[in-house]
Amino acid sequence: MRCSFVFGLILSVYKEATVLKVLKVPAHTIAVFILPALLIYICIVFIPIGVSFYTGTLDWNGIGESKFIGFDNFHRLLFNDPFFWPSVKRTLLYAVASMVEIPICLLMAVLLNRYVRKANTLVSIYFTPVILSVVIIGQLWKTIYNPESMGGMLNGILVSLGLDSWTHNWLTEPKIAMYSIYLVSLWQYFGYHLLIQFTGVQNIPSEIYEAAKIDGADGFKADRYITFPMIVPIFKISIVLAFIGSLQQFDLVMVMTGGGPAHATDVISTHMYNSSFMSQQYGYGSAIASFLVVLCLAFTLVINYVMNKVERKYT
Amino acid sequence: MVNFRKGLVYLLIAVLCVTQLYPLLWLVLYSLKNNEEILSGSFFALPKTPQWHNYSEAFHSGHYTQYLTNSVIVTLSTMVCVILFSAMVAFAITRFRFKYGNIVMLVFLLGMMIPMQATLLPLMIIFKNAHILNTRWSLILPYIAFSSPIAVFILSGFMRGIPNEIEESAVIDGANTYRIFWSIIVPISIPPVMTVCILTFINIWNEYIMAATFISKEALKTLPFGVYSFVSQYSTNYGDIGAFLIMGAAPVILLYFLLSDKITKGMADGAVKG
Repeated sequence: MRCSFVFGLILSVYKEATVLKVLKVPAHTIAVFILPALLIYICIVFIPIGVSFYTGTLDWNGIGESKFIGFDNFHRLLFNDPFFWPSVKRTLLYAVASMVEIPICLLMAVLLNRYVRKANTLVSIYFTPVILSVVIIGQLWKTIYNPESMGGMLNGILVSLGLDSWTHNWLTEPKIAMYSIYLVSLWQYFGYHLLIQFTGVQNIPSEIYEAAKIDGADGFKADRYITFPMIVPIFKISIVLAFIGSLQQFDLVMVMTGGGPAHATDVISTHMYNSSFMSQQYGYGSAIASFLVVLCLAFTLVINYVMNKVERKYT
Repeated sequence: MVNFRKGLVYLLIAVLCVTQLYPLLWLVLYSLKNNEEILSGSFFALPKTPQWHNYSEAFHSGHYTQYLTNSVIVTLSTMVCVILFSAMVAFAITRFRFKYGNIVMLVFLLGMMIPMQATLLPLMIIFKNAHILNTRWSLILPYIAFSSPIAVFILSGFMRGIPNEIEESAVIDGANTYRIFWSIIVPISIPPVMTVCILTFINIWNEYIMAATFISKEALKTLPFGVYSFVSQYSTNYGDIGAFLIMGAAPVILLYFLLSDKITKGMADGAVKG
């Protein structure tokens, strides 16, 4: 949505009819209104990204002399870093997982809207985990994932069900640690996407359903021909948010495992963070950061393009 | 058949209530137990005698009030600046006869796609050179920057819809631009300002990574970072950890309890309109 809006703006920059607006103001007034936010914004967001692209070409540990090495960092990143591509794969897998969650949220939103009278309250309840800090969520789930001997709830439940062989060290076994983190994130954001879908479903005027009922369409038939086409724009927003959010997935991994054990839960951002701040390779860390920026921009464009096509097809 | 289907739906709803809320409830029980009870692994038992002292211990040894104060200071100053500055920009973009309004908007929106983490390292270098690392500014400035795009977007979306006649009559009555902004536009824009308040609050109050990267002074840590330090420091006092986590969650939960309709509406608006 934001992105298609950006394109609209690019086109309209040259067409903007300024005539309609009333206030003719001198340049210094414009400056007073625009500059505070714009300056902070440019200094904090755009200049650092520029700096990052530059330091990405340096061999630098942050303290001593820096040496210009051209694209060596990028070359090493793409071809010689055994931890980089797995981290990209995990990031994308996470994006897919969080997109799969959204149809489930939509189904739930439809059911809640149809069968429950005070559905708002339920949606608010499901939403509770969303407003909590990732630190709290992460620590809470770390205690849940603890071994049974340390009072971990999940293993405790499994043991009491007689499923002792299913117990795991959820966050320290390299094969499952990443999935344990995915699960927490899906758990936290379930309420968020449910809320978005639910708001969308509620905004469909009930007259349409009444009319459809007269024409003989109700229940799931009505959903197929009314709810679904009308919800596509909202559905699209959820998908884009989930996708971009997962590319930037960072805090939860940092809090729960920090990328370990042995890089088994590294995503792009944590790999960047650990290379920069833990092993003091500022130049290399900046190269990863630059890659992340490019990847996010590229994927935002792609996902918007794809979703716009989908939207046009179904509405 | 209909009843069966209905029953199935209710079952699903109940299961989801359990999965979404039980972990939080479990944490409350956990925080009231002693180590022995926790280690015995009874995950649904009530504590035999509630260990309230877990809370007082966590409260005193964990610098809770200090973290809370820091969070309040940082969050409030960020919110005031974000709302004021973004409202000003939104006003200028939507109401001034000014050619480059859309370019300004474009700059803000492009930045929305930039991941925050990518700026951590360069910002640290910049802040170090500007000597503001380890001060409140090193949090407030980036928080303002990363909250403004969505704020500008939501506010300008609203302001675009305000009819021109309002300003025309104000100009005829002799009000200058600042007066129009402050006495007419801002009061009209209260509903979207509330949305922006909620979004900014939730994001900033919970922010952890920047706080952990730019602040190392104990006296300046915000609540999420404080929680993290506490947990790593007292890793074997399980009950205290639980208590501190609950206390860390308490302010937001309390606010959510009071304002849940406003908060869910604000978050939904933020997602859909943003």
